[in-house]
Amino acid sequence: MSTINFANREINFKIVYYGPGLSGKTTNLKWVYGRIPEGRKGEMVSLATEDERTLFFDFLPLDLGEVKGFKTRFHLYTVPGQVFYNASRKLILRGVDGIVFVADSAPNRLRANAESMRNMRENLAEYGLGLDDVPLVIQVNKRDLPDALPVEMVRAVVDPEGKYPVFEAVATEGKGVMETLKEISRMVLGRVGSEA
Amino acid sequence: MVEPALVLYGATYEKALEALDELLRESGARYALLVDKKGFVLAHKEALWAPKPPALDSLATLVAGNAAATQALAKLLGEARFNELLHQGERVGLYVDEVGEHALLVLVFDENAPLGRVKLYGKRAAQALAELTKDALTSPSKLGLDTEYREGASALLDELFGN
Repeated sequence: MSTINFANREINFKIVYYGPGLSGKTTNLKWVYGRIPEGRKGEMVSLATEDERTLFFDFLPLDLGEVKGFKTRFHLYTVPGQVFYNASRKLILRGVDGIVFVADSAPNRLRANAESMRNMRENLAEYGLGLDDVPLVIQVNKRDLPDALPVEMVRAVVDPEGKYPVFEAVATEGKGVMETLKEISRMVLGRVGSEA
Repeated sequence: MVEPALVLYGATYEKALEALDELLRESGARYALLVDKKGFVLAHKEALWAPKPPALDSLATLVAGNAAATQALAKLLGEARFNELLHQGERVGLYVDEVGEHALLVLVFDENAPLGRVKLYGKRAAQALAELTKDALTSPSKLGLDTEYREGASALLDELFGN
């Protein structure tokens, strides 16, 4: 599903950050934007409300560099997490190559994590995709909360079978942010050319 | 995979560029882009006289997002899609038309380009490009990107994100 442009010798991948409202998807992207040197990133686009809640999406293009003569780029997107924005959330999933699910560690957001995961499955299904068709990484964010739930408890709710890589994170401090992105990038690249 | 990737290269790509170039001359627009519906730029041309364009990645992403939202809106209203979008500001306007099922033609124009010409030639070019890109749908897995590519990319990941 990646887009390849032979004339420019460019190959593009789309990575989407999914998860419940206020779980830290935009914070992840902002941290990445701050850490990537000039020249390797494009402009970050945010379609947000006045109180900085994501309304449609955030977008950040990253240049990996040239591999075997192919310029390789990642386009990072977030979705709006709030339940009532499902129409736009679904649009962003179109053509996705890899997903980071950002789960919230707060006890009162455990249900929201489960809801969001279910919603993601439903939205993917509308594009004819199952969870096994798209590389997925779980990020358990906000580990710095004093009443944060154990990682295993959060994981049991969004990934009961323990199938996906899990990263602990404190996105506001950048902990776990680059590790998560690196893992999903690896998984996405691992799919290139390996499918029939 | 459900959504085929549009792959533009070689002669098809050259022809697409020619079509965009001709469109710029005929319509008097500043920039012409062929963008896929995921928001990636497939081909673009700028008029020589035009100022430096804004970030094309941002432009393409927003246009694709906008087109997707508009299509969802059309479905809500019982239409399969709105084929043509036109945004007109005080000085600058944006014309977007469907190029087949998977791509969009984007024209950015200013007050020097008559709207009638933009629409007329835009529509024609969109049809020509749709014909041109019809055969450009390919599965990316058939492109012979191999282990060597993956290893190279992996090394770049280490470099960019640290070990």
